[in-house]
Amino acid sequence: MRGAAAAAAAAMAGSVRAVARRFLSEYGGGTAGRLKALDAFLLYVLLTGALQFGYCLGVGTFPFNSFLSGFISAVGSFILGVCLRIQINPQNKGEFQGISPERAFADFLFANTILHLVVINFVG
Amino acid sequence: MMARSGAGRGAGRKRRRGAGGGGNMAAPGPRLRLEAALGFLLVLAGAQALVPSHRLDARDLARLRAVLERPFTDVRSAYYSIVGLSSLGARVADEKAACKFIKSHVDSSSVESLFYAAQSMQVLSACEVTISNETRELLLAAVSEDSSVTQIFHAVGALSGFGLPLASQEALSALTARLSKEESVLATIQALETASYLSQQADLSSIVEEIEDLVARLDDLGGVYLQFEEGIETTALFVAAAYKLSDHVGTEPAIKEDQVIQLMNAIFSKKNFETLSEAFSVARAAGALSQNRFHVPIVIVPDGPAAVSHHQPLLRLQVTNVMSQLLTQVSVKLDQAKSVSSKATVLQQLPFTLSGDFFELNFMNVKPASGYYDFSISVDGDKRFIANKVELKVKVSTEVGITNVDLSTVDKDQSIAPKTTRVAYPAKAKGSFTADSHQNFALSFQLIDVNSGAELIPHQTFVRLHNQKTGQEVVFVAEPDSKNVYKFELDTSERKTEFDSASGTYTLYLIIGDATLENPILWNVADVVITFPEEDAPSTVQSKNLFVPKPEIQHLFREPEKRPPTVVSNTFTALVLSPLLLLLILWIKIGANISNFSFAPSTIVFHLGHAAMLGLMYVYWTQLNMFQTLKYLAILGGITFLAGNRMLAQKAVKRIAAEQSSRLAKYRTLR
Repeated sequence: MRGAAAAAAAAMAGSVRAVARRFLSEYGGGTAGRLKALDAFLLYVLLTGALQFGYCLGVGTFPFNSFLSGFISAVGSFILGVCLRIQINPQNKGEFQGISPERAFADFLFANTILHLVVINFVG
Repeated sequence: MMARSGAGRGAGRKRRRGAGGGGNMAAPGPRLRLEAALGFLLVLAGAQALVPSHRLDARDLARLRAVLERPFTDVRSAYYSIVGLSSLGARVADEKAACKFIKSHVDSSSVESLFYAAQSMQVLSACEVTISNETRELLLAAVSEDSSVTQIFHAVGALSGFGLPLASQEALSALTARLSKEESVLATIQALETASYLSQQADLSSIVEEIEDLVARLDDLGGVYLQFEEGIETTALFVAAAYKLSDHVGTEPAIKEDQVIQLMNAIFSKKNFETLSEAFSVARAAGALSQNRFHVPIVIVPDGPAAVSHHQPLLRLQVTNVMSQLLTQVSVKLDQAKSVSSKATVLQQLPFTLSGDFFELNFMNVKPASGYYDFSISVDGDKRFIANKVELKVKVSTEVGITNVDLSTVDKDQSIAPKTTRVAYPAKAKGSFTADSHQNFALSFQLIDVNSGAELIPHQTFVRLHNQKTGQEVVFVAEPDSKNVYKFELDTSERKTEFDSASGTYTLYLIIGDATLENPILWNVADVVITFPEEDAPSTVQSKNLFVPKPEIQHLFREPEKRPPTVVSNTFTALVLSPLLLLLILWIKIGANISNFSFAPSTIVFHLGHAAMLGLMYVYWTQLNMFQTLKYLAILGGITFLAGNRMLAQKAVKRIAAEQSSRLAKYRTLR
């Protein structure tokens, strides 16, 4: 009985590892370099936001406006980065007929400018 | 403070003179009643009819004369001084010198100067001058419609003063024509005075009507004063001119009695005269109000305070006009005297007797009780008198005597009969009395009017206990019972707090006082030894000092929020920057590079502009506000956008070209 459970767990663990390895190889091969760079950026933003949130949970919310502004900057940048990624992915070309990758990038920059204008206003 | 309203009381409204006061309340119409009620409320307490509040007393007259007797500087100041002094019934010190001065200083080419000279010379005795024909022509020419009212006034006055013939009718028509064009108060007043120089044959009624119009333009200040907004000088000149014209024409001026009193109050409220013209105007007004044919306000002045007593049983009054000149050819009568407290009439219809300059009445003949009395006094003798009924508050003083003073110690258990000692004022009781936990101290006395024997209830009946050692004093009030016997009882247990439980020998004083008593009493009655039950008194009784500095209040500033220690926040800052490191490592691993960087101008401008925008964000954080940032952002953003647009368009062209060539290559290999 214990052996079967252990075997099942081992199998599950093994399958999780296998899935992860499979995913990584597919990802590494199938994604364009540009998208991978963007994904790295998104990971960075995610980590920064999570760290800010953890700090706020740890030491308290004073000053609250600074925390909010930093957190919203992270979240907003993440969302805009995801939008950019969707728009410049060549596999989604069919859905974004009128929007060239350059146009998507220009939109990304413009939206980021407005976001960070508000963020800087609020950080205090 | 004072309600200002135009004295718009129409000429048709007649107001009765009140008998004994209060008559002004019966005016018809609700609005007029309201005005009368307001006026009543604001008038001096105790007086129901309007009473003059200001007049020229002896000191004011002296001041006025001092101003008027200053040496002359020019013809105008000579005129003010000479005519002003004559209005007051006085004469200039040296008339000959004055006459010479005027003759040497008059300017024959100026109508105004001639007017001053003419009027002054008319007042001075034996001062005459011959007038040349040119001067006469000049004066006659000035009396025309083309000259201002002031010029006509001066010309007519000069002609009249020099005794030269004058065509009254022409002057009158010029004056009326001119007056319809000039509406100012001063011009109208001068017109009134001009008319008083014209012949009585001329029809001066149109000018006389101006008096009523001017009265309507006066401002009522609180029902007490009436004056023009131009000031007291104008008001005084108006009074002088109005009465001069009325005397000349023989008709009573359209000024009501109360208005005359209000004008009087306003004019004579000015006690300091800055300019000679002000002094002149007040002197003219005083002269006019004391000697005209129609209205003479009188003032009833008591001699010292209006108080009588057994030592001074006579109430003495003086009757004067506005210039404090005594009027003795009058009859003064007491209409009635009422007690203020009991409202009973004590005396009626009694004449005052004239003795020297004073009118006297022996009030103590009716043996009045002490207190205050309202006297209604009326003065007769001349139909012209106004303000001749006044209310006067008279005080009757008396002397108090203390009788039946009994000091006793009462046992609380009432087992022992109280020991009573009688004391006579002003002796002191022999021996001392004790008050302690089983004995109370009691005091009773009666207060009587020494002269009449009636019982008195004065305002102040205090019992003062003074600690001989510590200087403490405690004051109690002795209250009368129903039989007007004053009683005071000291219970040590009840009165502990007032004494601060300080036992010892206290001196007992009795304090009797009242406004109507001539002999207030402070009487050391006895010594009282007071013993308090528990010895919880402080050893040295310190007087409660209320005026020491109080403990300082420290302001509590708002406490700052709790922050984490600097180590923690610095660690976190470093931690937050670590993903950036990770990002750079990942990018290098992925192989992101800038090898495709083309050095086209638009690219460079775009990157510089973008960097500038990021720098602007930092500057915004540290220094700027939103408006300035938006301004700079608009500029930088515009540049960046244009350059970026160019750059991205070039990139797009390159990309499309690359795609096309790769597609072409693919197509070629397939073939």
